[in-house]
Amino acid sequence: MAGQLIPDIGEPAALPAASAGSRPAPPVAARLAARAGLVVLVVLKRAALLATLLAVVFIGVALLPGDAASATSERGESAADLARRRARLGLDRPVLERFWDWMSGLPTGNLGTSAHGERVSSMLATAFPNTLVLSGTALVLTALLSLAFASGAALRPGGRLDRIVGGASTAVFAVPEFVVAVGLVLVLSLWTGWLPAVTLTDGDGTPASWTMLVLPVLALTIPQAGWNTRIARAALADEARAPHVEAAVLDGLPPHRVMLWHVLPGALPTIATGLATSSGVLLGGAVAVETIFNYPGVGAVLASAVADRDTPVIAGVTVLAGAAITVVLLAADLLRDLMTVGRR
Amino acid sequence: MDLTRRRLLWAGAALTTASVLTACGSGAGDQPAGSAGGGSAKPRKGGTLRVGALGRASAVTRDPHGVQSNESDYLIISLVYDALTVPGARPNTAPRLAASWEASADLRTWKFRIAKGAKFHDGSPVTAKDVVFSLKRLRATPAGASRLPGIEAKNITAEGTDTVVLVSDYANAELPLLTRLTTFVIPDGTSDKDIAKAPGTGPFKLDWFRDGNARLVRNDSWYGGAVHLDAIEVKIFESPQAMANALLAGQIDVASNAGAIAARTAKTRGDVQTVRRPNDMAMPIVMRTADGPFADARVREALRLAVDREAMVKQVLSGYGSVANDILGTGDPAYAKQIPQRARDLAKARQLLKEAGFDTSRTYELYTTEDISGLAESATLFATQVREAGVRIKVVKQESAVFWDKTWLKGDLYTTYWGTNDSVVFFASKTMVSGSAQNEAGWKDTAFDTAYQKAIGTADAARRTQLLQKMQQIEYDSSGYLLWGMADGVDLAAAKVHGLPTLPGYGRVQLEKAWLAS
Repeated sequence: MAGQLIPDIGEPAALPAASAGSRPAPPVAARLAARAGLVVLVVLKRAALLATLLAVVFIGVALLPGDAASATSERGESAADLARRRARLGLDRPVLERFWDWMSGLPTGNLGTSAHGERVSSMLATAFPNTLVLSGTALVLTALLSLAFASGAALRPGGRLDRIVGGASTAVFAVPEFVVAVGLVLVLSLWTGWLPAVTLTDGDGTPASWTMLVLPVLALTIPQAGWNTRIARAALADEARAPHVEAAVLDGLPPHRVMLWHVLPGALPTIATGLATSSGVLLGGAVAVETIFNYPGVGAVLASAVADRDTPVIAGVTVLAGAAITVVLLAADLLRDLMTVGRR
Repeated sequence: MDLTRRRLLWAGAALTTASVLTACGSGAGDQPAGSAGGGSAKPRKGGTLRVGALGRASAVTRDPHGVQSNESDYLIISLVYDALTVPGARPNTAPRLAASWEASADLRTWKFRIAKGAKFHDGSPVTAKDVVFSLKRLRATPAGASRLPGIEAKNITAEGTDTVVLVSDYANAELPLLTRLTTFVIPDGTSDKDIAKAPGTGPFKLDWFRDGNARLVRNDSWYGGAVHLDAIEVKIFESPQAMANALLAGQIDVASNAGAIAARTAKTRGDVQTVRRPNDMAMPIVMRTADGPFADARVREALRLAVDREAMVKQVLSGYGSVANDILGTGDPAYAKQIPQRARDLAKARQLLKEAGFDTSRTYELYTTEDISGLAESATLFATQVREAGVRIKVVKQESAVFWDKTWLKGDLYTTYWGTNDSVVFFASKTMVSGSAQNEAGWKDTAFDTAYQKAIGTADAARRTQLLQKMQQIEYDSSGYLLWGMADGVDLAAAKVHGLPTLPGYGRVQLEKAWLAS
């Protein structure tokens, strides 16, 4: 959970920078340095976690029945052909050795070669940015929608809007992405003809038209917007009970002003954490949604790589997805930190 | 998952490329609607055809001699490059880059003459040297020995500039059929590094290729005749459902090999044509003959009598298929139609099981995969049907990789599938002759072996047909296969598309005669 990422920020005892300098630094600079140090520490921790995860990927794929040599062979190949293919793919070596080899290429951006002989980095060169665009847009839209709905609902607790938002957000969150996706295709494309049913790509590997992004983004956004609206609504309700908010209300400030300047800032850390966890779900959901919309992202690459036992490809996707999620979680933590420190 | 590598491989093993030279105009076969496969209207020149084809992003390959597990890749390759021969309707082998061929009296030496005026897309003429280089390159691939069986690399030579000589290790009257297998020709000396840039000789030139998608433009100087379309855009689809949606939404004009389920969905739409290509896919049940519970021929006969073939076709294939008679190679012009159709006879099945002393108290496992649509369903329905004859079968679904590793060629009872169905000899040589590398049922029958050796060593067509039919009779009586039906290949197309191929298997990729009505 992102909430535990920087558990004791602001506590001087935990700051490595405090012991680093011999001369006491000015308070602001010290705090910045401390925060930078913490960020580095967290990134290192995350990197170690990712490395462990990659080792698990290598070992896990090795434990699956069959290997990339047999999974990508033709029916006509003899045992000797298969052995040769196995040697060519390096599958005759111990798994940890292969893992180490692959890891040592990582700092230079070398993600290895797929079982089909393609460079993994070039396989993911357009697919991963495509997926980032898809899930990134969905994340932004999720944030906007959930904030709007939750604030609207919180303005008049127990009101009609509040009840509708409460019910609807629970309902949409309970529906899996693929059901939403199939429904969207039927209604917005096949029945009405308003939007393209699938994504087709241009010669540059990106979607041929922005309209092709609409349905996949919606399919990802709708369930997550439901989830985040609930979180945001609850956070706003908590914050609304805080003394400073009550003071603002007693001061006679208009409700939307109270909401924007007094309730929302306090609730933001919780909302950001909720959104950060959604980023992982969005990337995961993209795999299913990409298949339904034929979206040219990593989902399709990953699914077939698992079927092919294509370890370098699976590991390559893991690294990139892991890095993306780390960045989002880090951003959420920094925001939370900023807000809490600012309020103290 | 509907789409997997093996399906494509075996749909593609045949490389049943439709014949431009003979198949077109042979009529629309049994298409229920539209004129996609035939039509008498005068072809219109121009237009861009957008074709959806199945493929997986991680399996994309550009090498014409590589492992083509994507239909989309194969479609692109076979439009850009030409093989020596292509599948036809009757006979099942038609000329392409090889305009003609002739055999020596002993049927071991075969000479292929290159089509006059054949040129690479860079303008250089195709010579025998290019063909020899390409065939040797194909022979040197991991599966080379099965792609060009009986032909050593050293026995591929040039004679003059326009003739290629292949010498087989044994007499083989069906050798030209083997050259349908990925004998794509690239220029002499092309390095592996430059393979994606190698010019082809085919009806379309590559404009661009990106992540499995491509745009191809007409080759105006193609030796094979006039090409109508200005361009073809190939779009890769991971799922047949997304491909069908794209067609219904008008984003593509053809959904190649969309399958029965998509066809059922599209049925209600008047503006979508369904092209059915019979004898596209065989999904036989393999019963091990070498040993185990099904080694007794009477037990195998009993199971063949216990299956309800009509129900299988109706339920498993949604009716997009036909009943079969336990003989593989149903699309062969020499297919033995006179052998009586086996029908369900539960009483006789029970009696045979009793005679064979088959243990009906045991539960037998039938292994299957979800590699292709309908395969696992066929296993389940079969198990239900034979229960009525007193045979207890439990269906075990295996993941593809596990199945091919552990069950295939070894199991007592499992489902398999093949996409090359226009040749009795193809199956005989690959899966039925004693000692064939992919003898799925471990079948050994000396009478069958003798008939096969004689058949491929016989030049006289009538005599060979006789021998082929003898082989089929033996297969019908005692092989390890239970072939209950044949699935149609099903393509979907917009109403304006004409001249689509109707041959089974990879016959669907030959789009050079396709055209678009205005």
